[in-house]
Amino acid sequence: MTAGTPAGGQESTAGEEAAEPDTHGHLMALADKAIGAGEGPRTPAPDPVNPVMIRHWAEAMGDANPRYAGPDAVAPPAMIQVWTMAGPGGRAARASRTPLDDLLGAFDETGYTGVVATNCEHTYHRHLRPGEHLTAGTRMTDIAGPKRTALGEGYFVTWTVTWYSQDEPVAEMLFRLLKFRPRERPAPREPYPLRPAVNRDTAFFWEGARLGELRVQQCAACGLLRHPPGPVCPSCHSTERAYVVARGEGTVYSYVVHHHPPVPGLETPFAVAVVELPEGVRIVGDVVGCPPSEVSVGMPVRVEFREMDDELTLPMWVPGGES
Amino acid sequence: MSEVVVGSALPTLVIDLTPTFVISTALATRDFTPVHHDTAVARAQGSADIFLNILTTMGLVERYVTDWTGPEAELRGIKVRLGVPAYAGDTLTFSGTVAEASGGEVTVEVTGAVSLGAHATATVRLALPEAA
Amino acid sequence: MTSLSGRTAVAGIGATEFSKDSGRSELQLAAEAVLAALDDAGLAPSDVDGLVTFTQDANTEIAVARETGIGDLSFFSRVNYGGGAACGTVLHAAMAVATGVADTVVCYRAFNERSGRRFGQPNTGIGGEPSSQGLEMSWHAPYGLLTPAAWVAMFARRYMHRYGATSEDFGRVAVAMRRHASTNPAAWFHGRPITLEEHQASRWIVEPLHLLDCCQESDGGVALVVTSAERARDLRRPPVVVLAAAQGSGAGQMMMTSYYRDDMTGLPEMGVVGRRLWEMSGLGPADVRTAILYDHFTPFVLTQLEELGFCGRGEAPDLVREGGLEIGGRLPVNPHGGQLGEAYIHGMNGIAEAVRQLRGTAANQLDDVENVLVTAGTGVPTSGLVLSRDR
Repeated sequence: MTAGTPAGGQESTAGEEAAEPDTHGHLMALADKAIGAGEGPRTPAPDPVNPVMIRHWAEAMGDANPRYAGPDAVAPPAMIQVWTMAGPGGRAARASRTPLDDLLGAFDETGYTGVVATNCEHTYHRHLRPGEHLTAGTRMTDIAGPKRTALGEGYFVTWTVTWYSQDEPVAEMLFRLLKFRPRERPAPREPYPLRPAVNRDTAFFWEGARLGELRVQQCAACGLLRHPPGPVCPSCHSTERAYVVARGEGTVYSYVVHHHPPVPGLETPFAVAVVELPEGVRIVGDVVGCPPSEVSVGMPVRVEFREMDDELTLPMWVPGGES
Repeated sequence: MSEVVVGSALPTLVIDLTPTFVISTALATRDFTPVHHDTAVARAQGSADIFLNILTTMGLVERYVTDWTGPEAELRGIKVRLGVPAYAGDTLTFSGTVAEASGGEVTVEVTGAVSLGAHATATVRLALPEAA
Repeated sequence: MTSLSGRTAVAGIGATEFSKDSGRSELQLAAEAVLAALDDAGLAPSDVDGLVTFTQDANTEIAVARETGIGDLSFFSRVNYGGGAACGTVLHAAMAVATGVADTVVCYRAFNERSGRRFGQPNTGIGGEPSSQGLEMSWHAPYGLLTPAAWVAMFARRYMHRYGATSEDFGRVAVAMRRHASTNPAAWFHGRPITLEEHQASRWIVEPLHLLDCCQESDGGVALVVTSAERARDLRRPPVVVLAAAQGSGAGQMMMTSYYRDDMTGLPEMGVVGRRLWEMSGLGPADVRTAILYDHFTPFVLTQLEELGFCGRGEAPDLVREGGLEIGGRLPVNPHGGQLGEAYIHGMNGIAEAVRQLRGTAANQLDDVENVLVTAGTGVPTSGLVLSRDR
């Protein structure tokens, strides 16, 4: 059992959410049965507590605690679960299905295929010494759900494992996991096919668009506003550049409505305008937010930033000017 | 070991999560789940890489606290709330604070953080026979 | 300083057939056109020592020379900016001949523009390169403004707004061109005139442009032989003298998208060309019998009439309405049917038509043709010629 995704086991604060009644009822019935079954059959550890596995464990962990070595070695307490881990065959290698296995299987069958561990709590009663033969018994103790979580709707399932040396309980583990229906991930956005070339002379404009700013180049020496921008002020020849953030209002100076041929990334018909800004420059952009047939020369528009994909934001124009 | 005073901090422990570390600890804890040693499988399941298994997280929390207490400590329990995965290639940094200390019973709050955030948030209870 | 005027001549013209699917490579089309032009002039490939083509042409000068058996070249040159290069190739050739850099230069343009790469289709990679042109295109292409029709439509809308021009005014240009083409056997639209109603009913390409405002797409090649006027007089055909040749670019110039200049209703680059042509030729608008105006899209025909001084600003719609561009009109334009009617060979077929009109061999031959004005691509840095009968 593993912590599986970057979202981890962080339970959201969102409240209860109803699963389909029959699915929920089915799952709860199986959970009741599993809880009612109490502790399942005790599984024997394949090997007694032994110094070889202890040494391997301590070496791998980088734990130099001297108590884990030498003739009087004890087992590291946190190693408790290791003694009863199934081999590479895993769970399938176990003899019989338990009511808990049935419940976990039912989650998978009803779409709660996601799993993420949320809690692991050990309690140690005493140190274990080489030669002790352990068994482990598992008892399901709780179910809670359905709950809405960051990962998707799901149920928290809790069980406890008790380890025995002969009949003496030596340690317990509470384990809680979330079985969830993976949220439909939005398909990764297709890169918008109409990409601008960007270089050091123009990057400020596109960075501004991502931040929701319509940036107009301004010569840092003479103050000339200029769009499209360029590396050298055509008026004073300064290469010192700054920009102003335009108010984001303008007037349609001219426009077209594109019908044919089809353009990748856009649905026809669409309107493209040369927009005149009160700052004194013109800029080209699509007019959105109204049917193309309603666009006209002289129409007041204001900027609206559209995320075309994960990287590209385009300033576009919608009807309406100074409010 | 420094004096056990509530609020005092444990020295941090930084662990380089090399693939070798992730794999050798998975195998030393007899956890053969492929996502802890097979990069292709881990990635196919949506993970960035192979990642630390929970049994190792428990062991490292124990090591972190007992490195600080010394071998005489008797561990009573470790409660871990699991967070983001600890991927190979990342760095796991443990920090801790003494939360309670009375009559030899000490509670330490531990956080194991990776670049994505908290991987493990733990409460460790232990007895220090010699601690006053 | 000596003037270029009158020192060189077009001695030969050649072309392939104009089609929608040539069925052969662009290099073959170029070679066929070059050989046809040399044959027309009565020259052999070995007489050629210079080649000029468009920057956009896919056939290198050396490849054309290899295919046609042209040997040594002492001059080769390319002219940039799409169809704006057409008359510029003749200018470059004339300069080379007039300065003694070359004796006989062939200008050529050949492509499978219909069956191969079609200029009218969106080229999504157009803004992809951070070259100066890629960056320039990048202010427009992301918005879907990436076809020639769309670029021109933006100017056309502003022109309509400013002067009250209508779609019918553009349509009348198309109707005239198709009428001319209908009696030109070499034209793709030979025998297929259109009405203004058909123009109006044709589908929108990019408003305010209908399908019939847009020139056709063609496969084909055209070549022109330029040599000294003196030498041309000894050749097979009567010389057609290059009385004036000019290139032009305006302030704030862009490729098809010069939307940031004070006025969007003119073509300042064509104004540059016009002033140079009139100055070099010593002629004025009243002195040309016919004009071959680049007509890839109808609105810019109106703009050119104004920029070149054939009428005042905003008066072109009136000139068109009164039938001024027709064969019998005040200024017959594109008697061959232009690119709307004959073929779209990036303006080179228009130069060939000017030569025919001056030789007296055109399909729709006008009378008393002494001087012909020819222009090249509009909306781009461009070029023009005044060609004249030898005197």
